[in-house]
Amino acid sequence: MADHTAVRERENKTYSSNDMAPESVLEVTGLQVGFPHDHGVAHVVNGVSFGIKREETLGIVGESGCGKTVTALAVMGLLPKALGCQVDGKILYRRKSGVIDLATLPPRGRVMRSIRGNEIAMIFQEPMTSLNPVFTVGDQIAEAILIHLHPTRRKARSQAIEMLDAVGIPSPEQRADEYPHQMSGGMRQRAMIAMGLSCGPSLLIADEPTTALDVTIQAQVLELMNDLRVRFRTAIQFITHDLGVIASMANYVAVMYLGRIVEHAPVRTLFHNPKHPYTKGLLSSLPSLTAEKARLVPIPGTVPDASEVQQGCGFAPRCPNSMEICTTQSPSLEPIDERHSAACWLYTQRGDRR
Amino acid sequence: MKPSEETLLDIRGLRKHFAMRGGLRRSSSRSVKAVDGIDLSIREGETLGLVGESGCGKTTTGRSILRLIEPTEGQIWFRSHRMETRSDQQRGIDVAQVSQKQLKDLRRDMQIIFQDPYSSLNPRMTVGAIVAEPLMTHHITSRSNCKNRVVELLTSVGLKPSHIRRYPHEFSGGQRQRIGIARALALEPQLLVCDEPVSALDVSIQAQVLNLLEDLRAAHNLTYLFIAHDLSVVKHISNRVAVMYLGRIVERATTSELFLHPKHPYTEALVSAVPVPEPDYISARKVLQGDVPSPVDPPSGCTFHPRCPYAIEICKKDVPQLKEIENGHSVTCHLADRLSLDGLTQS
Repeated sequence: MADHTAVRERENKTYSSNDMAPESVLEVTGLQVGFPHDHGVAHVVNGVSFGIKREETLGIVGESGCGKTVTALAVMGLLPKALGCQVDGKILYRRKSGVIDLATLPPRGRVMRSIRGNEIAMIFQEPMTSLNPVFTVGDQIAEAILIHLHPTRRKARSQAIEMLDAVGIPSPEQRADEYPHQMSGGMRQRAMIAMGLSCGPSLLIADEPTTALDVTIQAQVLELMNDLRVRFRTAIQFITHDLGVIASMANYVAVMYLGRIVEHAPVRTLFHNPKHPYTKGLLSSLPSLTAEKARLVPIPGTVPDASEVQQGCGFAPRCPNSMEICTTQSPSLEPIDERHSAACWLYTQRGDRR
Repeated sequence: MKPSEETLLDIRGLRKHFAMRGGLRRSSSRSVKAVDGIDLSIREGETLGLVGESGCGKTTTGRSILRLIEPTEGQIWFRSHRMETRSDQQRGIDVAQVSQKQLKDLRRDMQIIFQDPYSSLNPRMTVGAIVAEPLMTHHITSRSNCKNRVVELLTSVGLKPSHIRRYPHEFSGGQRQRIGIARALALEPQLLVCDEPVSALDVSIQAQVLNLLEDLRAAHNLTYLFIAHDLSVVKHISNRVAVMYLGRIVERATTSELFLHPKHPYTEALVSAVPVPEPDYISARKVLQGDVPSPVDPPSGCTFHPRCPYAIEICKKDVPQLKEIENGHSVTCHLADRLSLDGLTQS
């Protein structure tokens, strides 16, 4: 019983709006996620902080295993705490009724369930495995609407059809009665987006939404997402490993490496004036479509395992600018100018240079 | 770096139709037209990029060349250095017609690197055994020499001699791809079919492997058929590029010509759809409508006409043929000489 009241209290606790920038929809501070394994805990996300404003797209880039997806799952409250998953830090989210810390909410509690899929929606990489094969697409979209908005069944269905129409699926009335396997990959991803937007979320988390699609279909889906963002005034957290996609989608970009954000900047600044050696390395290792590159400059070595405990900056072993301090102390994300920050000793007072 | 004019591989009218079975009617006359009559030639020492979206038949083409898949129809002329008579060397040999025994010999000269470095290496064999297997199969080296040769191969792809005793699961994706490359190089082939060799890798590792492939090409005078869906990768590594759509080649040209002055509406759309890592890049984006149709039942006439923004009546009825419109630039389009299409805007 005591447990229950404690949970109620936490669920009803509101933060004053002063805790958050006025335009922010989501503000994550010092997020840490640890997964238990044989020899201890692997810190997959290690002190990540970022904010997203209304109608803005924050791109999160990084290579496989850098913690991009886990960050998103933590926001959604989808990490299995029962398996020993440890989540620390603040995830402030602005509701109509006030600001709330998602990290303190029980993931299966009443409040979290009313937020998830309703106010914060997520679309996944592989539309084939994330849609249920035994229900029609229309029923699956209507399900979310029924649960969160409580209309009549008929109303829910017509809303589902409207959403399918909004994402550009031809003859939506017939398509609503089709099963996922009857649709093509691009079509399924559109259906996923329709489902995500069906309850008018204020935040949409898109985890590699176009990675499984061909380029011509990817172009369709990206264009659609940009239109819908403006139309529904949704904030988007866009996770991808593709710097090309980021350049055409994001307002701000956070680059992740080994569970940390190493650089955060407006999209043009990031591409034109990258500061962190990892960001520079990523850009120089890309083959260019528009310019002639005689030879690519790869980043040497490979990404270390997140379960291996290490000292200092995670990128130091691969970094061309590595200094003594890099191997002993981990740099924190510090502002370089007003809207640009990097976690690198090259740009702080304690570093030897600058 | 200039590719020599000698043709190493010449594919004529290659077709591969997969019969469809199953369902209630066991025998069906329908078939998947994965590759539907393509002509392609690769010159010695060059890299030919083969691009297209999933299901367009690029992989089937690559595998048919090595006869890992038996082609339904067509000729695959290959000029092996190992031919016995001089006239054979000049004329080449039709891979599609040779006996199994001849085929085994021919495979010394043509090897393949697969897309997925996780499923193309036997998890129960050590790296040494994997790389040595082709040498053993073809009785090339004695057992004692074999180890030296394997070490040499591993070093040439950037692995350490000590890796010889380890198993594939101990390696990262990029390292596994290097093992696959070492295995393919073991027989000193002339032609290497690279089937999406870097698409499973992260960008920083992708660049390492692309550089390695370029170095090896120069060092061993290799010829690559480079199959990929990523246009920036293909543009970087290829001398010439062929674009496939629904089992047919729609355009063939030198790399810069194809990207700057595409002549087929599909190439134009493909080039404009690639997301460029440059926020200020303004592409003349032509977003195609609809999906790729099924290769079981391709559209009539030009198979691209339902998605083509320029299609006219004739496109629905007549199948266009691949024709050369400029020196070395061939297109399969009725309107090739009438359209003025946008390519990349060079920065």
